[in-house]
Amino acid sequence: MSSLHAEQNVRGSKDNDKLEKIDFKLISFTLAGRDYGINILKVKEIRKAGNFTMVPNTPPYVKGVDNLRGDIIPVIDLRILFNLPAESKDATNLENIIILRLDSLVLGIIVDTIEKVVGIASEAIQPPHPIFGDINIQYIHGVVENESRLYIILDVDRIFGTPEKAQVSALPSAAEEAENTAEPASASVEVVATENVSLDLQFISENLSTFNQFFVSPINIQWTKSRLRAWKDLRKDENLDFQFTQKDDGEAFLSPFFSPQTGSLWTETQMVDLAKMLKLEGNNLVIWNPGCGRGYESYSLALMMETQFKASTYKVWASDLDLLSISMAPGLILDENELDLSWKSFTVQTKSGLQFNSNLKNKILFEFHDIKNINPFSKLHLVVIRDVLSFQKPHDQEKILVEITEKVKTGGYLVVGTNEVVEHENWRFVGHEPWSIYQKI
Amino acid sequence: MRVEYINPFVEAAYSVLTEVLHGEVKRGNLFLKASTKSVMGVAAIVGLAGEVEGRVLFDMSKQTAIKIASVMNMEELTELDELAKATISELANMITAQSVTKLHELGFRFDLTPPAIITGENMEVSDQEVEALIVPMETPYGSIEINVAIRQRS
Repeated sequence: MSSLHAEQNVRGSKDNDKLEKIDFKLISFTLAGRDYGINILKVKEIRKAGNFTMVPNTPPYVKGVDNLRGDIIPVIDLRILFNLPAESKDATNLENIIILRLDSLVLGIIVDTIEKVVGIASEAIQPPHPIFGDINIQYIHGVVENESRLYIILDVDRIFGTPEKAQVSALPSAAEEAENTAEPASASVEVVATENVSLDLQFISENLSTFNQFFVSPINIQWTKSRLRAWKDLRKDENLDFQFTQKDDGEAFLSPFFSPQTGSLWTETQMVDLAKMLKLEGNNLVIWNPGCGRGYESYSLALMMETQFKASTYKVWASDLDLLSISMAPGLILDENELDLSWKSFTVQTKSGLQFNSNLKNKILFEFHDIKNINPFSKLHLVVIRDVLSFQKPHDQEKILVEITEKVKTGGYLVVGTNEVVEHENWRFVGHEPWSIYQKI
Repeated sequence: MRVEYINPFVEAAYSVLTEVLHGEVKRGNLFLKASTKSVMGVAAIVGLAGEVEGRVLFDMSKQTAIKIASVMNMEELTELDELAKATISELANMITAQSVTKLHELGFRFDLTPPAIITGENMEVSDQEVEALIVPMETPYGSIEINVAIRQRS
C-alpha cells in the first residue's frame, strides 16, 4: 500500500475515534524530537537517575547498571540503540528513565523527555508503515494519532525479549472481531504450544493484518484456514515458527492466494471460459473494475468484451488507489514476446513501445479513486473485484459489499478472487474453478 | 478522478505558482478525500463543465492570501481588500486555465466558469457523489490546497 493509504487511515481515524472507548494507555516520550509510546502495562515506573555504574565489554547502548532500591537493573540508552542523536549529560544532570517490566526482566531505558500518559482506543492503532523509518519496523507495534500528534508505539517485548512472546501483544485483528475470543497477553503463550487452531488463526491473522494489510474475514477465512495447515508444515520443515515477523514471510504465506493472471493479461481460453458463465447482452453494458492496479485486468475485460460479446457496446470503469500504478495504466507497455497473438490486432506500435490501440483504450476509463469513498455508479452489469476486498478492513469489506449489491442490476454479476467467498442472500454462486462468480438475484 | 486529469492540474499549479511567486514551491503528496473538508479561510472556486462536471477550489489561510496578493501586486497589502481578492481570483483563473489548456491538448474538452472568492471562518466544503483530489502546495508564504472534484458525465 502506498503512503497515501497510511495517511488516509490516520486522517480517517481522527474523525471516528472520538466516540470510541479508551482501552489502551501508553506512556509517551520523545526521542530526537519524535513522539513515541510504550504500553503502560509494560512500564513499572519512571524516574530520573544518572551516574550509572559502567559495565565493561558491553555494547555501546548499554549505559551501565543502576541501583533501583536495592535491585540492580541494566540501563539502556534507547537513542543509541536506534542510532538517534543522544546528548551526553554530565554527572550532575540526571537522565529520564522509563523502567520496564518485561516477563523475566526489569530494565531501564533512557529517553529524551517523558511526556504523559495517553489514553487511546486500541482499534485506533494502525499497523506500522515503512515511512516511519527511523526504527526497524519489526520493533514497532503500531502508530496512533492522538490530539493531532502521531505516536509510534514501540513493541518493547520484541526489542528486549524473545520473538515468540512479542507476537502475543494484541493488535486488534479481524479474527478477534469475528470470533471474539481475545486472550490477555501473557496467558496465551502456553496455549500456543497445545496447537489450538483458532488461536493460531488469530495470530496469523494478526500477523497478516500488521505486515500485509490482509484482513481475515468470512470472505477469505476458508482459504486462510487451509493455507495455515500447509504453511505450518512448510515452516516446520524449515525449522521456523509458523508466525512471522516481517512482510516477506506474509507475502510468502499469501502467494497462493492471488487469482490466476494477477498482473498479466488473461489468455484467450480463460476469457472464453469466463464469458460462458456470463450472460451479458444489450448495449451500454457497464463494467466496474476497482483495484485494477496497472490495468491488466481491465484490458483483459475489454478484450473479452471485444472478442466474446461482439454485439454489445460497453464501458469499463477501472480504478485504483495506488497513484503510481494507475498513472501507468492508460499507457501500459506490452511485452511483444509475451503477448498472445490473438490480441495483436488490438495493439499499436508507439514511440515508447507496443500499446493497446486507442479504440480499446477509449472503452476503459482509468480513475484514481478510493473505493471506500463514494462510488457514483448505478445499474452495473458486471463488477470484477478480485483480491481487493481481502485487503480492506473487515468493516470496509462489508460496506463495499453492501454498496456493490446496491449498484449491480438484478441478474448482474460479481467476480471476486479465486480464493474469496461471498455469502450473502442476494448473491448466488454461478462460477467454477478458478472463477468465483456470483449472480445477483 | 480520471487519471489523465491529474497531471495537468498538478503541473499547472506548480508552474503558475513558481512563476508568480518567484520562489520555491513544493508539492505535497496527493490524496483523495470524500467527506466534508474544512476550508482554511479564503477559497477561490472555479467551476468546470463540458465532458465533465465539477469544480476546482483553491484553499488558503487569510494571511497566505494577503502575502501572495502582495507579492503578485508588488506592493505591501495589509488586509484582504478588493485588490487582494481580485488577485487571488486571477491566480485561480491562471492555474485552472492552464490546466484546461493542457487537457485540451490531450483531447479533453472543458469549459470553466469565472472564479468566485469565498472568505470566512469555520467554513466547510462538501461534495455530493464525488470524491476530491487534494493537491497540497507549499509556498514560501504558506500552504495552498488545491481541491479538485470532477467526475465524468455518464
